Amino acid sequence: MNAPILQARGLMRHFITNKPLFGAPSIVQAVNGVDFEIIEGETFAIVGESGCGKSTLARLLSHLIEASEGSVIYDGREISGLTGAELRDLRREMQFIFQDPFSSLNPRMTVGALIGEPLRIHKIGTPAERRAKVAELLRKVGLRPEHADRYPHEFSGGQRQRIGIARALATGPRIVIGDEPVSALDVSIQAQVVNILEDLKDEFGLTLIIIAHDLAVIRHVADRVAVMYLGEIVELGEAAEVFAAPAHPYTEALLSAIPIPATGARKVQTKIEGDPPNPISPPSGCRFHTRCTYVQDICRTERPQLRDMDQGRRVACHFADNMSLEGIRTDNQARPPAVARRFARYSAARASMTANTESAKLEKEE
Amino acid sequence: MTASKPLLDVRGLSIRVAGAARPLVDDVSFSLDAGETLCIVGESGCGKSLTALALMGLLEGTPLRIDGGTAEFQETDLLSAPQATLRALRGDRIAMIFQEPMTSLNPALKIGDQIAEAVCEHRDVSREAGRARALEMLKRVRIPAAESRLDEYPYQLSGGMRQRVMIAMALANDPALLIADEPTTALDVTIQAQILDLMRNLGRETGAAQIMITHDLGVVAEMADKVAVMYAGRIVEAGTVTQIFDDPQHPYTLGLMSSMPSLAGRSERLVTIPGTVPSPLDMPVGCRFAPRCPFADAACEAPPQLVDLEAGHRVACWHAPIEQAEPTPAWRETA
Ligand SMILES: Nc1ncnc2c1ncn2[C@@H]1O[C@H](COP(=O)(O)OP(=O)(O)OP(=O)(O)O)[C@@H](O)[C@H]1O
Ligand SMILES: Nc1ncnc2c1ncn2[C@@H]1O[C@H](COP(=O)(O)OP(=O)(O)OP(=O)(O)O)[C@@H](O)[C@H]1O
Ligand code: SF4
Ligand SMILES: [Mg+2]
Ligand SMILES: [Mg+2]
Repeated sequence: MNAPILQARGLMRHFITNKPLFGAPSIVQAVNGVDFEIIEGETFAIVGESGCGKSTLARLLSHLIEASEGSVIYDGREISGLTGAELRDLRREMQFIFQDPFSSLNPRMTVGALIGEPLRIHKIGTPAERRAKVAELLRKVGLRPEHADRYPHEFSGGQRQRIGIARALATGPRIVIGDEPVSALDVSIQAQVVNILEDLKDEFGLTLIIIAHDLAVIRHVADRVAVMYLGEIVELGEAAEVFAAPAHPYTEALLSAIPIPATGARKVQTKIEGDPPNPISPPSGCRFHTRCTYVQDICRTERPQLRDMDQGRRVACHFADNMSLEGIRTDNQARPPAVARRFARYSAARASMTANTESAKLEKEE
Repeated sequence: MTASKPLLDVRGLSIRVAGAARPLVDDVSFSLDAGETLCIVGESGCGKSLTALALMGLLEGTPLRIDGGTAEFQETDLLSAPQATLRALRGDRIAMIFQEPMTSLNPALKIGDQIAEAVCEHRDVSREAGRARALEMLKRVRIPAAESRLDEYPYQLSGGMRQRVMIAMALANDPALLIADEPTTALDVTIQAQILDLMRNLGRETGAAQIMITHDLGVVAEMADKVAVMYAGRIVEAGTVTQIFDDPQHPYTLGLMSSMPSLAGRSERLVTIPGTVPSPLDMPVGCRFAPRCPFADAACEAPPQLVDLEAGHRVACWHAPIEQAEPTPAWRETA
């Protein structure tokens, strides 16, 4: 097991939301005491409903915002204490990919200038070397060196997200954090970008932190997954284990809500009722107790700690030890043999379309 | 197939921007019986919303024109009927739900009054009766503490609650047809699951037929009796939900399904569809999927018709079933 590259210790961040017409301003505890470590080379995923604090956590980890309390430790050093050269190193070694490929790229810069910008900022290489590096990065993400002279608006969503990835990789980072990097993309384009991310991760030995609300994408890319609810981590563990046998009722509810694209998987009734509570006044005790099917008295008053279970699993539920919850069933998703053969045929035919052809076509369609 | 006439029978619907060379929606046909749910699925820009808007008579005021086709609904052709007829049908016999409820709810009006207004517009009833119906509908879509919600404004509700209000309003006049355009796309998966439950149950209770537009094949599997897969303005494959998921035929359908990461396990690389959707200005003349299709050959330079492969299962591909097709040897040469 590798050493942790990044650690969160009692991490908290609150925001003061708009002052109401009367009364005191309300405070949202967006991240409320989070502890975990990320191992060098792994893909670590953060999931949870809108507003649960995923983006805030990602921003804290990458030092884009300051923690209200607690600390982030990168490579043995606390990031809030970094200054000068050390802070620049951190900025170079930890990069961010944003969700929206449309608004995250400056429309007035060429693609070459956009990808080369981090190199210029960090004073890496001569101008000629930077151009060569940009060309190499473009190829790596499945675009072409000639694309360096074009502007972002000339590219499709998936291509723009590739530009964002190339830019994140320019400085040779050790950690890349993607905040919903494929959420804005259509399925067919999303798959292209997911493949590129995985290839690059293998090639460069990156540590990848991915936020996504699509649990199938997470199941596909992640080694480990942290499930958040209202600013807290409620479950953390190996992705395969968590999906197959969740240990927190919220994880079970989340998994049960995913519509599965296969016949025979149709659900009778959803396992989760109600809306997520207002984060300004979160429920007492276990924050999930208002929606939990297994709620007991103790849950309303006592906050469950994130406790260690078997196989590196951590769960914040009073009853984690004696519940057996339902994960994703996989036995009902097998394809009939004839159809499996048809998919294999598609896949083989797809593979015989050469990479060259692919970029030539991309070129043509712009 | 049923002997009686379908509730909605769309034939050859085409839509184009006035003056444009090629239609945006091209020769779309499908039919729907009472109580059935049809899902129209496809990626962004393939023409799902335009199809729905055309059926609702809502293309007025856009540069888009209906270029051909009929859509027979209870003795009325929705595509040629005068606006007055369509206005009377909309919100009454045919109701619609959009992705973003905020755009279709009036932010300045209490939700109880909005639903009551929708009722009074089409029924000769008193305000009180309208309000009573509003309350009944809010309860029906399982809004907690419905009485007190009647006097709240849309901004006071969560996204999921607003979508419930939209559904309550849409169903207030017992429509025969409900068209829902991505009703859950903006919602969290837990809330989506609740709304899908609700729509499925209400469909069953009221007998309303539903056209549900989505880009999520998971939602299709949850909801559909019938499915139409659209690509670049055309239906490329249509059939029962079982036919589409257990016997997909069109290379685009296969590609779409292969592109989806599986919840069942960490597979190897995803099998993707290369390239991107063609732009409406540069639509291939033949099969619109040909530039991205691993089976395309010279035959595909002519547009394939949507033909019956077996009862109710229609595919628009020259090489279906692809068991007999060869992968394109010409790929290298055309590059
Ligand atoms: N700058 C800010 N000012 C005030 N409140 C904020 C700010 N940023 C986040 N919040 C609040 O903090 C909470 C967590 O927000 P965050 O953006 O981290 O959630 P998220 O999990 O990323 O959600 P989503 O899936 O919608 O992106 C929310 O209640 C949000 O409204
Ligand atoms: N008012 C308009 N004028 C010109 N073109 C339009 C107009 N509205 C839509 N289009 C074009 O028609 C095509 C189909 O659009 P439509 O909105 O039906 O797609 P969709 O399948 O609903 O996509 P999405 O999943 O993104 O909602 C797109 O190429 C779109 O750019
Ligand atoms: S008609 Fe040709 S190009 Fe179109 S899907 Fe079938 S094989 Fe592919
Ligand atoms: Mg976020
Ligand atoms: Mg649409």
